[in-house]
Amino acid sequence: MAIVNLKKVSYKYPLTDSLALNKVDLQVKEGEFVAIIGPNGAGKSTLCYTLAGFVPHFFKGELTGKVEIANKDLALSALNEWVLNVGLVFQNPFNQITGAKYTVYEEIAFGLENLGVPRDEMKKRVDQGLTMTGIRDLADRSPYSLSGGQQQRVALTSILVMQPKVLVLDEPTSQMDPIGTREVFGVIRSLAERGMTVIMAEHKVEWVARFADRVVALYEGRVMMDGKPREVLNSERLLGKGFGISRYTSTAREAVKQGLWPKNRDLPVTLDEAVAGFKGGRK
Amino acid sequence: MHERLSFYVKRDSFLHNLNPLTKLTLAFGLTFVSFFSPWILTPIVIIVLIITPLSFIGKVYREYFNAAFQLILPATGFLFIMQALFQPIGKTEIFRFWFLQITSESLLFAFTNATRIFAMVSSFTLFLLTTHPSELMSDLSRRGMPSQFAYVIISTIQIIPQMQAKAQTIMAAQRSRGLDTEGSFIKRVGALLPLVGPLVFGSLVEVEERAIAIEARGFTSTRAKSFLREIPDSTFDKGFRWILILLVIAIIAVRIWLS
Repeated sequence: MAIVNLKKVSYKYPLTDSLALNKVDLQVKEGEFVAIIGPNGAGKSTLCYTLAGFVPHFFKGELTGKVEIANKDLALSALNEWVLNVGLVFQNPFNQITGAKYTVYEEIAFGLENLGVPRDEMKKRVDQGLTMTGIRDLADRSPYSLSGGQQQRVALTSILVMQPKVLVLDEPTSQMDPIGTREVFGVIRSLAERGMTVIMAEHKVEWVARFADRVVALYEGRVMMDGKPREVLNSERLLGKGFGISRYTSTAREAVKQGLWPKNRDLPVTLDEAVAGFKGGRK
Repeated sequence: MHERLSFYVKRDSFLHNLNPLTKLTLAFGLTFVSFFSPWILTPIVIIVLIITPLSFIGKVYREYFNAAFQLILPATGFLFIMQALFQPIGKTEIFRFWFLQITSESLLFAFTNATRIFAMVSSFTLFLLTTHPSELMSDLSRRGMPSQFAYVIISTIQIIPQMQAKAQTIMAAQRSRGLDTEGSFIKRVGALLPLVGPLVFGSLVEVEERAIAIEARGFTSTRAKSFLREIPDSTFDKGFRWILILLVIAIIAVRIWLS
């Protein structure tokens, strides 16, 4: 049974004529980690806002089709109840700092205060969250004194402690270095393993290939491809449209022309696959 | 960037451990008594015998004296001189030089005003030095103040330094594209215009994202909120607040009775 269920969802922002989402169908199972890829303007952020309920409840505009998460219909739900099931972390970390709190610790507790979580439970969850995302040493700092990557971790932790059923992430690692990105992907993977459903818009396809269960390619508001990372990320259909392409895929595609990559072997997406393939090609 | 965005000085003292509302009541109480007491020396007594000893009890005397001597004293001193010289009241002339004249009435008036304002500003300084803004807001929200109101106050205080930093970035960007920001006054005012647009419109976009961010954190949830900080409110606090309120009422009553 899918926890996320989108049927023929189309959406227009107010005062625009073009469809930001065009008949999007998407089913996600509980505990699945789905990555959404697509060029800029493909509708990734709009899809994230729709899953999180801000489309149409915050942005208004025209939404058709059916959005169901955890057996609740978005059209019949109030935003302040919807956000309890679906947590949203978006790109710009600076604007996700509430400004209401003076330390990272308090900042992370903000959501729990709003939900009325009792104090002992609140402290327990904040401590767990800080440890999980590796920002324990930032607990007493002002959220505004942090770097972009650190703020992104704070933003992620702030949502995680609220324990949503579905976690929606819109490029949550855009300001992180490779080590930070790897750590955060690892954290998200382990959350999915423990049953949290994760939907993440992301450009960094090499990481997506390593960690996600499934990849949805979005193009001009439509779902262009939907399948296993391996089937989607090295597809020729992504070429020339502005999708992020793994450097290993591009290298191997060149190598095929020069006879250095076995012809009947799938193009690699990750480093390991590339190494294995090139070793095979030499024999 | 600014780590410290408030006057609060973290110490462990009797004053720090009082309930924020008690300290707020005390600051307002001392201000009311200074302004309404019929006795002219009341503000001085309050400053010397209440606020100054309290700054020692609160272990913030150094910060308090800094503020008092560098900020409050010069400002109220200036106020005293201006009012003494230019208040056109009274006939008992004490001093005259050209168009400047001081009468004993204007002197008294200036003295009363300056000491009252000194007492008011210093009691609120002491309040801000010993009260964490989050604690104050949590406590007031817990007592029923709308959380939106608390949010607006705290986030505004925090966002001012961010806006300043952003203005400087925009200014640097405009200068790197050849905007002349030096020279005559008019030229410099003109140079502000290309700064205002990006700052204002940029901030409007930010407001939208910030609204989404706090909504995503359940800010408008209808559930009863809980609070991370445990804020002590002892029987002493409650009793003390009542005494202060009664004191203010008594002073106002005496004032009315005397007039």
